[in-house]
Amino acid sequence: MNSNKKVIIFDASTLINFAMNGSLDVLVKLRQNFNVQFIVPKAVKFEVVDHPMQIKQYELEALKINKLITDKILELPDSLGMAESEINHETAKILNTSNSSFYAKGKALHMVDKGEVSCIAVSILCYRKKIENLIAADERTVRMICENPVNLQKLLEKKLHTKIELKENFFFSEHVRFIRSSELMYIAYKKGLLDIKGSEVLDAVLYATKYKGNAISRDEIEEMKKLSKV
Amino acid sequence: MIEKEHVLSMLKEVKEAISQKDVLKLKDLSNQTIHSASIYQDPDNITLAVIIYSLSKLLERSEYRENKDWPKLIEGFINNVEKAITFLEKNEDEKFSIELQEVRDSIDHLSGDFKKQIQNVFQKASINKASRIYEHGISMEKTSKLLGVSLFELASYAGSTSTADVDLGITLPVSKRIKYAQEFFE
Repeated sequence: MNSNKKVIIFDASTLINFAMNGSLDVLVKLRQNFNVQFIVPKAVKFEVVDHPMQIKQYELEALKINKLITDKILELPDSLGMAESEINHETAKILNTSNSSFYAKGKALHMVDKGEVSCIAVSILCYRKKIENLIAADERTVRMICENPVNLQKLLEKKLHTKIELKENFFFSEHVRFIRSSELMYIAYKKGLLDIKGSEVLDAVLYATKYKGNAISRDEIEEMKKLSKV
Repeated sequence: MIEKEHVLSMLKEVKEAISQKDVLKLKDLSNQTIHSASIYQDPDNITLAVIIYSLSKLLERSEYRENKDWPKLIEGFINNVEKAITFLEKNEDEKFSIELQEVRDSIDHLSGDFKKQIQNVFQKASINKASRIYEHGISMEKTSKLLGVSLFELASYAGSTSTADVDLGITLPVSKRIKYAQEFFE
């Protein structure tokens, strides 16, 4: 791997989490204090800036995220020398596989959409360019497809009360690694980058991510708190 | 329309439940729609899920029933359901879809605060159903598009549910995920 470059690719769910918790400044501090580039694919930008800009209720959050792009805290994949056409090509392949893998009652379940999958596409392209990378995604389904599709199959069976057939091998999942807003908050806490100090802060920020849609369980939060003391 | 027979029998139960103000029955029927909506993802199934849940919420709250426009509204809903049943029985799928849409459109004929309140009930029902479909395993972005709700609304709502507290959703030990992050921020 190219040791000079480390990249975190942001899904909409994680950026929304930081924005709705009023914690976007944490991303700024992480970016400014470490040599890690933050990437937002165009399809994700649409979900967190272009689309919510049209909804009065979320216009302010959209503007704040857009400012991070203007200030180059978040960058588009072209900053890594990636053409939009190659991202689109890779995204289409992953979308096709993901959405033709889980079958219920003889029908392929449409599991995921473009923005989420474009993060995996950028991750794969980074891997090919030997750029070390992580995906930051609070959303659960995409992470499960990559990390444990059998668990997702079981979850679907349990929830839909029907047999689910898992047909595909996920060619894209081998080199993809995920973190969430919770792990980024954990790092910020450990590095002293949070404005509020005190013994309850980690508990508060981790639960705050959970309540804004981060797919993290209470048990995981409690474990993180224990690990922080080691 | 997918699973026509099932939808037909459900709509007949919906009609019965509305006339008996059976909120629990409507909630149960609404839950049943989630499975079909998650699997088939066809607009009619999804619209139906939102309508049935909204009806349960409307009937639950007595203050709506005190509004002067309430009788006209609920009569209109029953009329829509009856027509939808007839169209489905005659295999007139397009007219069935239009009739379901008519339920939402009929709210536009209301006025003032009551209109806003009813619109709010339907909007919240959409977010609730989106959250339930996400809980069933369909991704957040896909679900938000199916229901026409924003990712911001869905993330917030889903975060307040127990969706993330399912063991099957834990796909990597916390310690390993933290290690991934630590390696990037040394």
